[in-house]
Amino acid sequence: MKLTLANFHVKDICFGAKTELKDGVLTVNKEEALAVVREDTHITEAELHVVKPGDMVRLVPVKEAIEPRYRVGGGPVFPGVTGELMQAGNGKTHALKDMSVLVVGKHYGGFQDGLIDMGGEGAKYSYYSQLKNLVLVAHTDEEFERHEQQKKNRALRWAGMRLAEYIGACTKDLQPDDTDVYELEPVTKRPKAVNDLPSVVLVLQPQSQMEEMGYNDLNYGWDCNHMLPTFMHPNEVLDGAMISGSFMPCSSKWSTYDFQNFPMIRRLYEEHGKTLNFLGVIMSNLNVALEQKERAAIFVAQMAKSLGADSAIVAEEGYGNPDTDFTACLVALEEAGIKTVGLSNECTGRDGASQPLVSMNVKEDAIVSCGNVSTLIELPAMPAVLGELESLSRDGLSGGWGNDEKLGPSVRPDGSIIMENNAMFCGDQVVGWSTKTMVEF
Amino acid sequence: MKAILYLNQFFGQIGGEELADHEPEIREGCVGPALALQAALGDQVTVTHTVICGDNFMGSRTEEGIDRILGFLNDKEFDIFFAGPAFRAGRYGAACGHICNAVQNKFGVPVLTSMNEENPGVEMYRSKMVIFKGGASAAAMKKDVQAMAKYGLKLLKGEKLLPAVVEGYFGRGIRDMIWLDPPVKAADRAIDMLLKKVRGEAYQTELPIPKSDRAPIATAITPEELSKMEVALVTSGGIVPVGNPDRIQSASATKWGKYDVSMLENLQKGEYMTIHAGFDPAAANNDPDVIVPLDAMRAYQKEGKIGGVYKFFYSTVGTGTTQAEAARMGREIAEELLKDGIRAAILTST
Repeated sequence: MKLTLANFHVKDICFGAKTELKDGVLTVNKEEALAVVREDTHITEAELHVVKPGDMVRLVPVKEAIEPRYRVGGGPVFPGVTGELMQAGNGKTHALKDMSVLVVGKHYGGFQDGLIDMGGEGAKYSYYSQLKNLVLVAHTDEEFERHEQQKKNRALRWAGMRLAEYIGACTKDLQPDDTDVYELEPVTKRPKAVNDLPSVVLVLQPQSQMEEMGYNDLNYGWDCNHMLPTFMHPNEVLDGAMISGSFMPCSSKWSTYDFQNFPMIRRLYEEHGKTLNFLGVIMSNLNVALEQKERAAIFVAQMAKSLGADSAIVAEEGYGNPDTDFTACLVALEEAGIKTVGLSNECTGRDGASQPLVSMNVKEDAIVSCGNVSTLIELPAMPAVLGELESLSRDGLSGGWGNDEKLGPSVRPDGSIIMENNAMFCGDQVVGWSTKTMVEF
Repeated sequence: MKAILYLNQFFGQIGGEELADHEPEIREGCVGPALALQAALGDQVTVTHTVICGDNFMGSRTEEGIDRILGFLNDKEFDIFFAGPAFRAGRYGAACGHICNAVQNKFGVPVLTSMNEENPGVEMYRSKMVIFKGGASAAAMKKDVQAMAKYGLKLLKGEKLLPAVVEGYFGRGIRDMIWLDPPVKAADRAIDMLLKKVRGEAYQTELPIPKSDRAPIATAITPEELSKMEVALVTSGGIVPVGNPDRIQSASATKWGKYDVSMLENLQKGEYMTIHAGFDPAAANNDPDVIVPLDAMRAYQKEGKIGGVYKFFYSTVGTGTTQAEAARMGREIAEELLKDGIRAAILTST
């Protein structure tokens, strides 16, 4: 499988008469773009904004981030989700780099939504403050979940994907600034020099904890809760086969943009043929029942062993209950003789001294730790807010609260906030971007 | 700003072992190592008083010693409290821990001490306070005092505090995130760790998993044996007589108590309660037997399943309690039970 990602670097975004990319400047025809958003009649209010690194703007509740793309030769950017099913990861796809489409609830948030500060001291907590972002702020008529803490955010997330496809399509006839080529030979057809290197599989544990459909990550449109661990080509992940769900405290979440850019996959590609033989991705999941966790660990270890993996990297999208899957998977791989490294974040509680993972085993002896969901963060008021600041306090965001005996409410009358890192949008970057680690004090 | 230092009788220049029963006292100004501390703190912080207490006194009459010293401090203004350095002196280390813990709980000021890694005070108190990694003997006095003073100044000035290993104190088990400098991405760290692991080279995990100290499950007791045995009840659920006579802490407990139930059929509401701070106490206070099931044990006794219930039940609080403290308390309770010929116990948790 060979995937060419043709990169178009976006230096600036503005609104104008025609949606086009010219000399690195993305111009968006607002009306046309909003018409794409409103194709779903459940969208009742919608507006577009542009935010850039350093802007003193706070975004909350942020629901999703997507990289605008265009599939050369036609077909949906997200097969099985925004269009028909087709093979992802083979061929050519255009990507607008250094930007994302962010989806923000105009009024209501939920457990799974997060916060981004584009400037000031809060900017360091989210990857997305480094990007130029086209921000869709919208409201829906999804009354059934208006006051639910867990929201599917279906209309908003799909609107974001349509918008990303609409923006991506403006590159249709353009030449990219540069290209990245991702190609892996079939596992049994690799040259000796590659086969002689230590082999590695990347095990991904995307979010699948919800029994009800509509909340979990999707694999070609298929709910990851209904899946057994399966072998995938890394290009499929980079090319829209996986989309983010709408469940999991936000700093632990992987957005669709995270899947599209998956830094751990790209890093393994860099090593492929030099120091490692990258066999591929085992896509597992994080179902809640113990039997499902054990079954998944058995499948992962068997698959890795049958593929002849000498080593593995396991990454989990979540904390708490999913730590059980993470530990079970690392232990199963180690017991199969596969040298394994884990990628996770931690939850050390208000006192900082709580057990960092719900389940721990001495066999997991190599973990890269990307952040602490429990870290308390206090930030000053921002001159501008996109969305509704009160949602952090009111709507059950994982890192926010209405009132705390000692700390007061998350959102104060003067607009300053106090929250747990938990609600920073995709903040712990377990996909591989995180430059944070955990240390003892 | 003001500081106060705690010393034992030896460093307080009272005398050696023969004077280890020396009663607690407080003196204005600097005695012994307080001079070195003052020098290290410079002119921004004044060491106003030196507290001195004999190691035996603090070891044998701990509560009295602490109470008297807290009494001395009641009318003093101070921004930080130091103790030691205690080097490898075990009783002195424990005393520094006792008094620092009491001072921070009562006055809410930062406390700092210093001990050698072999000092038993380290394991007793490292989770509760900053204990600097000190030398084995007084030869390290200057260095150890300077380490405490340097960190104390950072605390008082509100400067950025670095991880325990960088600052030089024993980690308190408190983990938090930091940004790496230089900013090495997780993906790069994972590859680096993986290559080293695959090649059999040394690497450092970012989340060390503590070895759990598992006790093997005891061999089963036959029904015949059990019908002749007294069984003891032990709990980490914090059930105590109302009033908590032993003043067991509600979290991070270091004490346990034992309570005579030889004349009781069950634990009555209003006479027993839980002082455990880690769960909703309503159900336990309404019926303490749900945590210490004396009623069920009496029923088994009547049925002849067990020979009887041991006269005392033992209680402590499990929430926030360190593994080291829990193991010590468990050993102490087990020794008592063994001495009284008890061979079976039920440990209830919450």
